[in-house]
Amino acid sequence: MKLKPVRVLMAAAILLTGTGAAEAHIVAARLGDFYMGASHPLTDLQDIVLWIATGVLAGTLGASKGRWLIPVFPVGLLVGLALGSVFGNVSTQLADATMMLAIGMLLAAAAQVPTLVLCAIAFAVAVIRGAANGAELGPETDRLLFAAGLACAGYGLITLTMALTVVFKRTTDSVTSWRTIAVRALGGWIAAIGLMMASLVLAS
Amino acid sequence: MAGGLVSGLLHPVTGIDHLIAMVAVGIWSAQLGAPAIWILPITFPLVMAVGGVLGVLHVPLPMPELMIAVSAVILGVAVAARLRLPFAAAVLVVAIFAIFHGHAHGAELPRAANALAYGVGFVTATGLLHLCGIGLGTLTRWPAGERVIQGLGAGIAGIGCYFLAQGLGAVA
Repeated sequence: MKLKPVRVLMAAAILLTGTGAAEAHIVAARLGDFYMGASHPLTDLQDIVLWIATGVLAGTLGASKGRWLIPVFPVGLLVGLALGSVFGNVSTQLADATMMLAIGMLLAAAAQVPTLVLCAIAFAVAVIRGAANGAELGPETDRLLFAAGLACAGYGLITLTMALTVVFKRTTDSVTSWRTIAVRALGGWIAAIGLMMASLVLAS
Repeated sequence: MAGGLVSGLLHPVTGIDHLIAMVAVGIWSAQLGAPAIWILPITFPLVMAVGGVLGVLHVPLPMPELMIAVSAVILGVAVAARLRLPFAAAVLVVAIFAIFHGHAHGAELPRAANALAYGVGFVTATGLLHLCGIGLGTLTRWPAGERVIQGLGAGIAGIGCYFLAQGLGAVA
């Protein structure tokens, strides 16, 4: 087949306009809000510290207790997101700090938390953080896609953190093994951060 | 947020008196062995945060700068002399100093800083300084290393004395 210059020009023009159309199409399909929901918590230090703390606490208690959080945590995020749009812009800083202090203390003390209490803690963290993430929603954001993204991020991060902790701190480790101490020291750090943050929030 | 993190991270490292005292705490706990070596990293940040709360709320402590210099002197001497206090006494000494160190961090907090980022930074920096001290402390397993550590302790006590003299106004 012999290409005529006119046809080449036409093809080029279609391709050039086509790229613009493709981008517009992705935005129009509102895939952007899914990624916004998934990436938003990862850019927030409060989310990172609290989610990881929750995951580590669940991981140290063992896989049989921790695996309850796989459904509980994302559902909590969704509940929080729904509540957040009801209550509007309320600062969650003090609640965040309190949860950090509580989870950090439990980790540092190597407390054997019952499954129900663990689920309640994780659910509380998820609701608080879900509400805080919901406060950032704009009027043009697709709620459903944002919620899906947020729940996926929560599911992924909490499951990964728990799994890594279970692998790192084996159940056969003794009380004085360095792995146990490292996890407990991390808890001490998290509690200290929570305490500092609570005082700074109360003082400001 | 990044500003708060950086200032939190740098604050414990830029004050020489803080830095040497934190490293000395790590070395001393390594010398004392179990259980001090594993109680310290778990509880120290928490006790320091209590001091930090007092600092943020501007609860006055007696002569904070002097006490930090004194803590460097005493911890340095403890390392140099391989002082073996009973566990409870050692904990009490370290806890008192921890509150003073935390107080300084809290009181000197830059107003504009992000609270969480500053906390993360300063707790992490302090923890890493302890880890340095504990790492150095493992040298005590060898006789020659023991001498090095004792020399280090004497050096820390010396620098602490300088800060103490400065605090008292003897050195300009």
